[in-house]
Amino acid sequence: MMPKAGEKAWYDQELSVTDAAGTTAPRRVGRPRTLDAGAASLALVLNLIRTGEATTRIEIEKLAELGRAAVVDRLATLEELGLVMEGELGAAIGGRAPRHLRFAAEGGTILVAVVDRSSLAVALVDLAGNSIVAHHEAADLGAGPEAILDRLTNLFIWLLDERGSKDRVWGIGVSLPEPVLIETGDSDAFGIGALETLQSWRRFDFGAEVSLRFGAPCWVQGGAQMMTIGELKAGAGKGLADMLFLKLDRSIGAGVAAGGRVQQGSQGFAGMIGHAPTGEDSEIPCHCGARGCLEALASGEAIARQGASAAQDGRSRYLAEMLERNGEISASDVSHGAQLGEAFCAEVLARCGRLVGQSLAPLVNLLNPAIIVLGGAVAQSGDILLAAIREAVYRQSHPLVTRDLRIVRSQMGSSAGLVGAAQVVCDEIFAPAMIKEWIAYGSPRRRPAFLDFLEAEKARKRKAAREQSQPRGTPANVPRHL
Amino acid sequence: MPMTGLGPHGERAAPADKLFLTAEEAAVAQVSRFTVAVVMHTATSDWARLAAAGIGETLGAYSAGVVEIVDCAFDKPMQNRELSRLASSRIDAVISIPIGVSGVTDAYRKISKSGKKLILIDNVPTGLLPGADYSALVSADNFSLGEIAARLISPHIADEGVAGILTYGADFFAANEREIAFRKWMGVNRSDITLVRGRFATVDEAGSAFDRLFAENADLDGLFVTWDVPALRALDAIRAASRILPLTTVDLGNAIATELAQSDLVKGIAAQRPFDLGVAAAIATLMSLTGRQPPPWIVTPGLAVTRDNLVEAYLTVWRAPAPALLFQAR
Repeated sequence: MMPKAGEKAWYDQELSVTDAAGTTAPRRVGRPRTLDAGAASLALVLNLIRTGEATTRIEIEKLAELGRAAVVDRLATLEELGLVMEGELGAAIGGRAPRHLRFAAEGGTILVAVVDRSSLAVALVDLAGNSIVAHHEAADLGAGPEAILDRLTNLFIWLLDERGSKDRVWGIGVSLPEPVLIETGDSDAFGIGALETLQSWRRFDFGAEVSLRFGAPCWVQGGAQMMTIGELKAGAGKGLADMLFLKLDRSIGAGVAAGGRVQQGSQGFAGMIGHAPTGEDSEIPCHCGARGCLEALASGEAIARQGASAAQDGRSRYLAEMLERNGEISASDVSHGAQLGEAFCAEVLARCGRLVGQSLAPLVNLLNPAIIVLGGAVAQSGDILLAAIREAVYRQSHPLVTRDLRIVRSQMGSSAGLVGAAQVVCDEIFAPAMIKEWIAYGSPRRRPAFLDFLEAEKARKRKAAREQSQPRGTPANVPRHL
Repeated sequence: MPMTGLGPHGERAAPADKLFLTAEEAAVAQVSRFTVAVVMHTATSDWARLAAAGIGETLGAYSAGVVEIVDCAFDKPMQNRELSRLASSRIDAVISIPIGVSGVTDAYRKISKSGKKLILIDNVPTGLLPGADYSALVSADNFSLGEIAARLISPHIADEGVAGILTYGADFFAANEREIAFRKWMGVNRSDITLVRGRFATVDEAGSAFDRLFAENADLDGLFVTWDVPALRALDAIRAASRILPLTTVDLGNAIATELAQSDLVKGIAAQRPFDLGVAAAIATLMSLTGRQPPPWIVTPGLAVTRDNLVEAYLTVWRAPAPALLFQAR
């Protein structure tokens, strides 16, 4: 359908439209007049190739409902931007063999990080979310946000030196523990040790600071949700649409995947299962102020507290020895004791599992997940806990929803959060509305709204720095020497 | 020696010396006569030979046999081919050190998909998960090895000095961990020192990589090389350049141990315990074959070696008395 010499292409032909009043006006079809329309189809074509839904021109034309010339034009643009490359030849079915197109995931990099109570992890990932280099190390949240940010910065720079450069960073994803993201009053919900440190975390705009340092947009989310996304993508939830993820750690959080999507809730706080009432009383109130919350009775912190108490009053000889040796009792001491067959430790974990399972049972009735995945350090504590959770869920949920239900431990460890963070960044960058904003500029880091954001943040910091350097009580316009 | 690193998925280290088989598991192993193939990145280094010895002796004690040792000579395509071959062979398990972590995942997955147990040493190919794709990772605490190397070279670098890091250009998790730890220790304890890095694409290239690093940093005051075999190449290059540069590295191979004893250049070695590592890999394999999931990350502690404790350290690492050469230096 190529135009003959002297003839205009069909998409450039002036067509006319006549309205009811008989007025005719020219109408253009095909080649978009505005950037918006072009950007929309660019986004569509890019996502078709990126997700693998369409890998040849013919498939794209069909699925995008675009004409051949439009598709050729969009592909040329995408190839110029380095986002799409020609791949292998496919099988010929009457006619020329089609050339497969592939998404050039290596065209940019994404940095991800998971910050947890006592460890952090970083990874360099390509634009398809595949990990290239990863590293985990011990860390202390109590060191405060600036110290953790500095450490992440050093590690990110090292990762970039390994594989690529700062200019190629398209986005950054960071997972932070929920208590530093959620204002739950003044209680020290994470045992950071100093209320001031917790408050300094909450005041610190981690995402903005990371953006400023690396010149790329940064998305921050809570750990349980990031791990749920990661588990759904690459862990026990792979290929499933309905999954419940439980993070059993120093605190307890959950994530829900329904219909293939992780649910965030109206304000992004979905998953606070730690504050489900258990119906039992707890020795001390929960961080939220209530008594008998699941977290106050069955979290890693609660297990450690119960273990320390038994170590001191003689109910557990094993734990008393551990206390003597280490000066404190951790949840992993109790787990280890249970694995060695120590009665008190086994009982603590069995009770913990029962309470967790009882809290899960109504959720299982409600959501009918295909699988429950248990993550976090406490979940790795051995078979007693897992068995107790299973027993409570299978006993208390309706048989219809438990018949095919699997309850397993996560095998991804801290990598779940890294995979989840990568997925979040990819989803954000390649959302059609977002692509339209950056495609004309080549990458999300050059999106005008983001550049404006960086300028505004820099201005805010300059202002804050100026205000801080002035001594208290000195009006700004009074000369110092008076 | 305190363990300081975390595993490839953030795991806490399980100490290798706490690994054991129960009497029942041992009995099952004895009658099962399991067959195991060992696939190594290289089979010629001292480290590799000691690790293979640890594996072979331990498996042998439980009537299991090493049916072959594959030397992949740092050739990834070759390693992938060999793994594909082994996936369709009639062995029970594979113990392997992956050459890097990218481009090898599918080949390793074939092993576990074929029902064989897979025990990994040092590196986990990207995307593989413990339990689902492999039984355990066994390694030295590479993070602590990097810290040891930093600690041992620090006294030999003056204030405001420049320390070079010479490391493998490929994606070796073990070498990465050593480098990150070296940098971290320096950042905390010797923030006055400037760190510069050189990379070698192959071990034989380490000498030229040093030359390149030195050409760009004529004021180099010390060098850390991420393991001993390329360190020996770097030493040759240092001597060829007529320089005196303190050097630390990882692994107590014979040649580098001799250098430590006799030369002025090598100041310290962060030693692995490859024989113990082999023993742990073998026990983890037998645990897995007899039905018990081993811990996902099993670790042998590192050992700080200087001229002062070289002879004792050699005995610990090699399980044999130090050669006369090392004594003569004292």
